[in-house]
Amino acid sequence: MARRPILGLFDDANAAADAGDGLRRAGIPETDVDFLTDTPYPEGAFGEREEPHRLYIFPFIGALLGLTSGILLTSMTQVAYPIVTGGKPILSIPPMAVVCYEGTMLGAILFTVLGIIFESRLPKLKAGLYDTRITEGYVGVLVNTEEAQHNTVEGVFGQTGAVDVKRE
Amino acid sequence: MASSVEHQTGGHGHHAGMWVFPRKENIAPDVAGKTFSMPSGYKLALGIAFILAVLGVVGFFIRATSDGFGSPGPWGYYAGIFSFVFMVTGAAPLVACAFRFTKSHWRRPLSRVSELFAIMGVVNIFLFIPLLLAMPSIKNPEVQGTDLEVRRTLWFEVPIGAPYTWDILCFVGLALCSMAILWLSAVPDMAQARATATGFRRSLYNGLSGWWYGTKRQWNHQKAGLALLGAFYFMLLIFVQFIFITEFAMSMVPFWKDSVLPPMYTVMSFQSALSMILIVMFIMRRWGGYEGYIGKAPFWSASKILLGLTLLWTYHLFAFFVTYWYGRLEVEQNILKYVFVQPYLIVFLANMLFSFLVPFALLIWNPLRRSAWGPPLAGLAALVGAFLFNMRTFAAAFNTGNHYEFSLSHVPAAVWPDIWDIFIILGGLGIAALVYLLSAKLLPLISIWEVKEGTLYQKMGTLMKGEYLVLAKPE
Repeated sequence: MARRPILGLFDDANAAADAGDGLRRAGIPETDVDFLTDTPYPEGAFGEREEPHRLYIFPFIGALLGLTSGILLTSMTQVAYPIVTGGKPILSIPPMAVVCYEGTMLGAILFTVLGIIFESRLPKLKAGLYDTRITEGYVGVLVNTEEAQHNTVEGVFGQTGAVDVKRE
Repeated sequence: MASSVEHQTGGHGHHAGMWVFPRKENIAPDVAGKTFSMPSGYKLALGIAFILAVLGVVGFFIRATSDGFGSPGPWGYYAGIFSFVFMVTGAAPLVACAFRFTKSHWRRPLSRVSELFAIMGVVNIFLFIPLLLAMPSIKNPEVQGTDLEVRRTLWFEVPIGAPYTWDILCFVGLALCSMAILWLSAVPDMAQARATATGFRRSLYNGLSGWWYGTKRQWNHQKAGLALLGAFYFMLLIFVQFIFITEFAMSMVPFWKDSVLPPMYTVMSFQSALSMILIVMFIMRRWGGYEGYIGKAPFWSASKILLGLTLLWTYHLFAFFVTYWYGRLEVEQNILKYVFVQPYLIVFLANMLFSFLVPFALLIWNPLRRSAWGPPLAGLAALVGAFLFNMRTFAAAFNTGNHYEFSLSHVPAAVWPDIWDIFIILGGLGIAALVYLLSAKLLPLISIWEVKEGTLYQKMGTLMKGEYLVLAKPE
């Protein structure tokens, strides 16, 4: 059976947290439940699952690529045009540092932006189930589950004081 | 304009009005209303900024057609005003990042004020290009006598693309990073406003935030992204400032070798950026109707940092000065005389007065620090000081004469601005103001999601007979 979203809207954050508990008791997996808010609530405020992120990997890869490019570029220049400056070796670190640092930073920044876009699953062309009242401070509890379970979910929403329930 | 949002104020005695507590549900529509409205005072400011910008464009074209880009001398004041604008607008986005790192609650109303300067970072790229054109080539085209064959430069051994590509990439990287910070920070606010916005704003908000629903995953990535980009922005900013002041000031004066100037430039940029943010916040609070969002606490807290930066700048200046004062080489004496105590002495003294003496004299007083006007007033002085510093440094550096000389053998005369220089200076200030004023009509001046978040963690509580601010620290 197809999985479809159902959204419960709460005007009180505590009620939304109760709905989360109710959904867990009703056997809805935690991974199917999302809390939509207009501001970041502290970790665990809704009793929700932990959401680890892997964003730090992206700048790390970007920085490595940028650094490698910087080293290659400067060392190849110095080997191709060997000019002895101040009696220092042809391949010396201080003159390479400026370009390497700039390359590293640019790589890290670029890959962080790409990482944010990728990890946030962008671009998202199809609008999801949403209610603009969330921007006014309401809390949305979004459940992405099989249609057969929608009545159970709606029942939990009703018991915990949802002001509105929306389906796709 | 009075604030239309209901709010409570907290604090008693000399802390009266220190904290404000806007009602969470009113924040988004009220701030959106202020962003979309165009009061007459705002139109006037836009008009003045536009006229100044036009004067700048006129001055620039006359300077370019009459003097060309063959010699850096005529572009000294252009470099000065560019440096001043870059100094302030480049460091401003960092203020939001720094106080987010320290998890300071009082920073919430100033976050967007500081991040909006990122848009000026894009304009800075274009303003920087004429400086590249005016910069003397690294290789001496006409070696005479004891002149150097290759000018002293940061680009030792001249890697491929140096200096133009790497210089421009510095500014591109900085603009990219600051714009990414602004976008990531403004996404939740744009998503909230997309339903009420109309016309161009609606298309823009939908395009940039259409995917945002405020899920836990999205908030976590936004938070992590802002932290990472903030760290990279700091690392890149001080590097770009180091490149800029070294390439466009030190390298231009024969034998000027000084390790104190780049950190001094950076400290001054932090001082002037924080000053500018305090001034903008004061204007918003006094005339913009934002008194419901901006209490006295941000001014009070920022004033201590401003005082610290003022002292730090003075320490660097003294370190710089004393190194050359005791320098026994003729060139060291000449550089000291040139940049400090002879042709530009009056500008140097005014720079000292406004960058150190006035802010210090104001900020040591507790009542002034606790007021909403004291820190911005000290900030205004610091900005004047920073302006004079840049004019003095770059007008001097660009007008040393022979940039390929082995060392500065004489003290050149001062070059004062002509009418086109004054046009260019006014234009630089006008363009920066115009871009900021337009940006503030595109994106809200208050970071709505951050102020809303603040309402979760702050309230007034009582202890015995007193009323005090209670802060939650969720992390």
